[in-house]
Amino acid sequence: MAERAQPWGDHVAAVFIWTAAAVVTSVFVWMLADIVWNGAGQISWEFLTAPTDDAGRAGGIGPILVSTAMILGVCMAVSVPLGVGTAVLLSEFTGTNVTFGRLVRRSLDVLAGVPSIVFGLFGNAFFCHVLGLGFSILAGGLTLACMVLPILIRSTEAGLRAVPNEYRMGAAALGISRTSALWHVLLPAAAPGIVVGLVLGVGRAIAETAALLFTSGYVDRMPGSLFDSGRSLSIHIYDLSMNVAGGSANAYASALVLVALLVPINAGISWVADRWLHRRLVR
Amino acid sequence: MMNTRHWMALAIVAVLVAAMVVACSRGDSENRLVVTGSSTVAPLVSVIAKRYEAKHPGVRIDVQMGGSSRGLADARRGLADIGMMSRGLKAGENDVEAVAIARDGICLIVHKDNPVEGLTDEQLVAIYKGEIANWKDVGGADAPITVVNKAEGRSTLELFVAHFDLENPQIKAHVVVGDNEQGIQTVAGNPNSIGYVSIGTAEYDATHGVAIKLLAVGGVTPSVENVKLGKFPLSRPLNLVTAGETTPLADDFIAFARSQAVHDLVEKQYFVPIAP
Repeated sequence: MAERAQPWGDHVAAVFIWTAAAVVTSVFVWMLADIVWNGAGQISWEFLTAPTDDAGRAGGIGPILVSTAMILGVCMAVSVPLGVGTAVLLSEFTGTNVTFGRLVRRSLDVLAGVPSIVFGLFGNAFFCHVLGLGFSILAGGLTLACMVLPILIRSTEAGLRAVPNEYRMGAAALGISRTSALWHVLLPAAAPGIVVGLVLGVGRAIAETAALLFTSGYVDRMPGSLFDSGRSLSIHIYDLSMNVAGGSANAYASALVLVALLVPINAGISWVADRWLHRRLVR
Repeated sequence: MMNTRHWMALAIVAVLVAAMVVACSRGDSENRLVVTGSSTVAPLVSVIAKRYEAKHPGVRIDVQMGGSSRGLADARRGLADIGMMSRGLKAGENDVEAVAIARDGICLIVHKDNPVEGLTDEQLVAIYKGEIANWKDVGGADAPITVVNKAEGRSTLELFVAHFDLENPQIKAHVVVGDNEQGIQTVAGNPNSIGYVSIGTAEYDATHGVAIKLLAVGGVTPSVENVKLGKFPLSRPLNLVTAGETTPLADDFIAFARSQAVHDLVEKQYFVPIAP
């Protein structure tokens, strides 16, 4: 009996694992197919560049794409230097058991799990009102930066810790300063970790609705500066599908654009990181 | 050294950004309006604002969405020049001034060939709860009732459940639809169905040959006219609210938002304009 039970158990496990994988894949394929099926018909150069009309039912998403890019730009410009800096401090200048490092790491983990609506309310209270930025792309980008930082820091730190200690010793033996070693050796070697953090961070930022509704706002005009309110693509999709009767066709088209945007963005991040950081390591 | 130069450049950029933030005194508030509030009203007000901006170059109207309560709170605290609310003012909210720019009304529709002309509130509630499942129990043919409900989050659903004191989970729906057009097509295609949609769309379609019939609610004939007069029970005002002193620009915009000049925009959003 025991001899037969073993292969039977294996069989069940195999079926379960294959089913689980198939379910996960089919959910993804179904979602993608649904978006492409309903959205691909509306996509045109006109749709991507024209301003919105008739509350989003007609016209395009030109200003919304520009706002999304600006929000993402602010978010990355702020979070990358801060994130990489903090990660360097955590991995290179504080040991794993130092209380300060542990405190920072713990608070980052808590921060990573905070729901985005809380970031939205914080951003609205702090950036919009206390700092007086109002509803603006800057406030939205800064709020997103706060959201993305924990992911970015933890993965960059992991990347830096994965760099073999021989690199640091070798640099020290050559009499290279710690800053130069960091810039020319350690950061390039930690590039994979930084890329993972950036990809996850951009993914979280570009999909964000709740945090942006209260910070960068709902205005669908072409933004003139970082201090203008601008509607992001995800908020546009939310608005079209929930508040605008007859907006679902353009909601699908916008969703397709959002999904399609992630591919070149992620490829771009990998390419830049590869080129910029790898060349330093070689030279 | 290369790296010092890099860090210096970074520091300069940071200082510049900080300076920009400080230097930004968001000027010309004379020509700027901030409108916040109800997500039902926001799409309508943003298209009205676009038309207003086109007529008055230099004016900027920023419409932000966040719900009726927030519209009221922002108007009270002065964070917004105008708040948007998709409901009437309650007792204790007399400190603000509300101006209706349109009304939102919904009506019940059945197939054109259905002999039933009207239903009492009790019959309707029973039908939507699944307690009455056959048309013959309410004076119709011997046929099962197909209940068409709206998807979660639709303002028509909110108005419907609030009016009949229902909870959405209590509703036993056979078909769930999204927008008004979808609801109308569903009912027109099934002789035994009942559904509810925005009154403007329903009246337009019924008079343009779509096979639907509008049911009376509480004895009142469903028509855009009755919604306009505030007689139809299943309707609510879409308000712009202001607190205290208002700027001339805000007054002018509110007057514009309820004028004839935007009635086509109101109707396009499936609301009922209020004739001045």
